[in-house]
Amino acid sequence: MATFLATYDFLFVSMVLAAVLALTLYLPLMAGQLSVASPGFYALGGYVAAILSTKVFHPGPGLYPVSLVLFEMAVAAVVSGILGLAVGLPALRLRGIFLALATIAFVQILGVVALNLEITGGAIGIFGIPQPFSSQLQYMWLAIPLLLLSMLFVARLERTRTGRALVALREDELAAAAMGVNPTYHKVLAFTTSAVLAGAVGAISAHFINTWNSRQGTFDTSVNLMAFVLVGGSRTFVGPVVGGLVLTALPEALRGIADVGGLPPWLAQFLRDGRLIIFGILIAIGTVFFPHGLITPGLLRRLGGRSRASTA
Amino acid sequence: MSVAPAAGRDGSARSSTALLTVEGVTCRFGGVVAVNAVSFSVSRGELFGLIGPNGAGKTTLFNLITGLTVPGGGHLRYRGEDITGLPPHRVAERGIARTFQNVRLFGELAALENVMIARRVRTRSGLVSGVLGLGAARREERATRVRAAELLALVGLGDRPDERARNFSYGDQRRLEIARALALEPELLLLDEPAAGMNAGEKHALSDLIRGVRARLGLTILLIEHHVPLVMGLCDRIAVLNFGELIALGAPADVKENPAVIEAYLGDEA
Repeated sequence: MATFLATYDFLFVSMVLAAVLALTLYLPLMAGQLSVASPGFYALGGYVAAILSTKVFHPGPGLYPVSLVLFEMAVAAVVSGILGLAVGLPALRLRGIFLALATIAFVQILGVVALNLEITGGAIGIFGIPQPFSSQLQYMWLAIPLLLLSMLFVARLERTRTGRALVALREDELAAAAMGVNPTYHKVLAFTTSAVLAGAVGAISAHFINTWNSRQGTFDTSVNLMAFVLVGGSRTFVGPVVGGLVLTALPEALRGIADVGGLPPWLAQFLRDGRLIIFGILIAIGTVFFPHGLITPGLLRRLGGRSRASTA
Repeated sequence: MSVAPAAGRDGSARSSTALLTVEGVTCRFGGVVAVNAVSFSVSRGELFGLIGPNGAGKTTLFNLITGLTVPGGGHLRYRGEDITGLPPHRVAERGIARTFQNVRLFGELAALENVMIARRVRTRSGLVSGVLGLGAARREERATRVRAAELLALVGLGDRPDERARNFSYGDQRRLEIARALALEPELLLLDEPAAGMNAGEKHALSDLIRGVRARLGLTILLIEHHVPLVMGLCDRIAVLNFGELIALGAPADVKENPAVIEAYLGDEA
């Protein structure tokens, strides 16, 4: 078990962080808003942590204090939240595909800015980000609590007055407004909350990956997150979490299959390197055949009913 | 500021004060004048009918009153306050609720949730207190649930709170929409063809329901309806629209005799 964990330590932490990022895409989607801006806030959060830890705090030798990582997460969350508010207010006037396009543009712009600023290290980026843990697996001490807290937050949100307002907007914006739901306020609220969370994930990731540059949090990440949510499920928070965990592990599993041997070389090559193609295909198949994703509230109810029946 | 319907509960159903005043309201869509300089006022406690052929501008008028469409001219006053151009959620907060001609429920959500959503203007817990489940938010959530269940029972759907709205029959969806609108505790209720798609028995039950909620909740009701006997039987006064213009206004019996109305609308049914 220990060897297994140690072999796949990088993968396990990545899976958990991916699940949190999937929730950041899910939050605006609760209100029916397809925004793929979270990779931008993730990148921003990473830069905040990278800059603070390498240029401001000047850590001494030995392990970097975890308390400082937590502080960086808080700063990254606040900075991302402020930018989220500034971007969300005008962007959320757009509807449907136009919002999606605007958020893609936002991610691209942030990437170009990061590539050209001095403080972000230009094309080289920032490297040698200090390590708070002696092994990568120990990043779980940050990643798992963040995932659990985010899940708890979204699960509770779905059962509150505010959460119901978001879902009402998703179901029928016009009817929701006529029932007293302020569309702009709630869309911006969901978008900003998503930005806060994405910023915090970025701060952990910067330490975890040890280096941060403009290739982090690009449109590729947007496609991944869309696959997590659309395949996992977009009608309950469980969907994106499972989608993020499973689809992050999937390329590793496919690589394992490719390494077994006996496959035609082109197929093995595809299984090793075709991650984005496979995610793209999954998004296409998912939206056609499972428009609400694989994990739906109905499925959870059936599973819940069965387990209650079996324990009774 | 209290927007509770208390003002209408004093029993003086025909007090002279106007609750809603429509003043020369005009609305154009491209070259089409959907509503042309229409003026009338609805008194507190009144059940006011709005009839007219298809395309006469009845639903557009509802959209103008509820802020879904901004008028090109004229003014809308509600309880003496100018509400022209207010966004829909602000109009709802002031106590105007509506149903839709083409039922617009939150289809994927349970009946109870549909009604709970509309309780928001009468509740206050925010994002943080709600997620943390603080005492006040928890109590409010429970009260919201109870109140929504009562409203479902009031419209006769009390036995199916967890059923998804889209699974209800057309007639039941219309009743669910009425329950959702009542959840706002409105003083003015706009019903857009509530009897459409109902059979004779259901129409009769609907008339009783409308009379009942009006009496119990002290509502003022503005009713669009094609089913003439239902309108004639229910309404205190009726306004007739034709091609966006108000062609008659008065008691049902008078409107029935009005030659312009007979020519435009009632002729084929009389």
